[in-house]
Amino acid sequence: MNPVKLGWMHLRISALNELQYRANFFLAAFNALLALATGLIVIGLVYSHTESLNGWSQPELLIVMGVHVFIGGLIRAFVEPNMYQLMQDIEEGTLDYTLTRPADAQLLVSVRATSIWQTVDLAIGLIVVAIGVVQLQTATTVAHVTAFILTILLGVVIIYCVWLMITTAAFKLIRVDNMVQMLQGIYQAGRWPVSIYPLWLRGGLTFIIPLAFAITVPAEALADRLAGSTIALAVAFSAVVMLVTRLIWRWGLANYSGASA
Amino acid sequence: MERPPVVVEELTKIFKVPVREAGLRESVKSLFKREHKMVHAVAGISFEVGAGEIVGFLGPNGAGKTTTLKMLSGLLHAESGKADVLGHTPWQRSKELLSQITLVLGQRQNLAWDLPALDSFDLNKAIYQIPTADFERRRDRFVEILDIGDIVTKPVRNLSLGERMKVEICAALLHGPKVLFLDEPTIGLDVTMQRRLREFVLDYNAVEHASVLLTSHYMADITALAERVIVIHHGKILYDGGLKVLAEEFGGEKTITVHAEAVPAAHDYGGVIEQTAVKLSIRVPRSDVASTTARLLNDMNVLDLSIEDPPIEEVIERVFATPKDEA
Repeated sequence: MNPVKLGWMHLRISALNELQYRANFFLAAFNALLALATGLIVIGLVYSHTESLNGWSQPELLIVMGVHVFIGGLIRAFVEPNMYQLMQDIEEGTLDYTLTRPADAQLLVSVRATSIWQTVDLAIGLIVVAIGVVQLQTATTVAHVTAFILTILLGVVIIYCVWLMITTAAFKLIRVDNMVQMLQGIYQAGRWPVSIYPLWLRGGLTFIIPLAFAITVPAEALADRLAGSTIALAVAFSAVVMLVTRLIWRWGLANYSGASA
Repeated sequence: MERPPVVVEELTKIFKVPVREAGLRESVKSLFKREHKMVHAVAGISFEVGAGEIVGFLGPNGAGKTTTLKMLSGLLHAESGKADVLGHTPWQRSKELLSQITLVLGQRQNLAWDLPALDSFDLNKAIYQIPTADFERRRDRFVEILDIGDIVTKPVRNLSLGERMKVEICAALLHGPKVLFLDEPTIGLDVTMQRRLREFVLDYNAVEHASVLLTSHYMADITALAERVIVIHHGKILYDGGLKVLAEEFGGEKTITVHAEAVPAAHDYGGVIEQTAVKLSIRVPRSDVASTTARLLNDMNVLDLSIEDPPIEEVIERVFATPKDEA
């Protein structure tokens, strides 16, 4: 069936589910504002000592931070809930039912769960990005915004794939909570543009846990720092990551033994 | 002749399971060097299930029943052998096949926990792309037969086990599957609820002419639903045939009960099940039934006499007592 429709049906169901737990909204909003305040204070401190951080001005860094919050919100709202559910289903054997559905199993496990309240981060992230853009000295054109949207989409795809690949290891290892927590830790590194890190770490953050494509590249698009070749690289890279993820997913399914009755 | 909906040939499934002794030392050792054991969960079984047929799948825990059902519904890949369900190899998981079968696991729940079952029904409608008319017809009929009109609007978490099983099985059949794999659908339910579910399955089977492969530890399920049973033990098929014939083949003894004016305290008629001053129940080999009955009639002033097959539970127990190397 149409993936968009399927995703929408599930989104609707899990939203209905989540709406029963209103307190979660206040919790998510409080968390998001706290994280934002800490981030702003740190940026403020850094720029009270210097004009630019490895070539990045304060408004540019605000954009990076906004994208970081935005993508983080997407991960927490749509990616992580599904990955935790998948992990739990593999451990408890409840994936059985999902696999008997006449729809693509990878699609099904990727759209089942949503933490709808985490979308508060999306709003906050976009506001921070907007403030950064307004403070920029240069004019922002339609081309910049288009490149931003395109690279954000590619970034989301790449992040989703990486998370799914790691979770798929649960087919073999059963418990992978630690790895997912590690991903959350590494994600914090995306708060800063990858170009400020030493070369070895930059490589890791670009191609192993590709935060560069998910966060720095979209921010670069808005800050007029993006080369066309980087977009091409992002497209090619996400295509490769999607293909590899698909293969790993298939391998995982073939290894699924289910928990015994 | 039309090909049966389910055809299984020499199907085998081997699980690799880590083994270690108990204790901390062994746990630490297994971190570095893990030992595995190969478990033949299903060891080359062959059978068929005809269109509209209900087959009981019997076996003790760990016999390979659930593993077989999971292979036939596409969850597990077989090690070797062939399976054909409605013309498809199940573990290729073609959408065409998956939309025509269903798997119900009595011990697992399928519906969204926090939502009324009706929402999950709608989701199934979308996933299985059930035409609205069919969906509504089946839904309304199921709701009526199972008497779940009040239940489907409550969040699933608020339902009792029996109520939940009713909505589970309803959800599992909304797409009108042609082949049903039911794994202990009545487990944990009270007697009335078990009967309700059995009647529901029978009705569905009659209306939709669907094939059913059913496992249950409750013999009442099997006797009420299945005329044919497949007995599986240690991953191999011990018996495949009529339930009645099974009783004859494995129930080597019959029970003779007499009511008489006076039952002798000491006698050698056979193994005593129950004895009072006026009643005697004994177990005798099938071949001795006629001669023993004659002796009883001759020796006592018999008021009433009955000869019965042993209860099916007892028969099954005898079958399962078969040692592994004979299986």
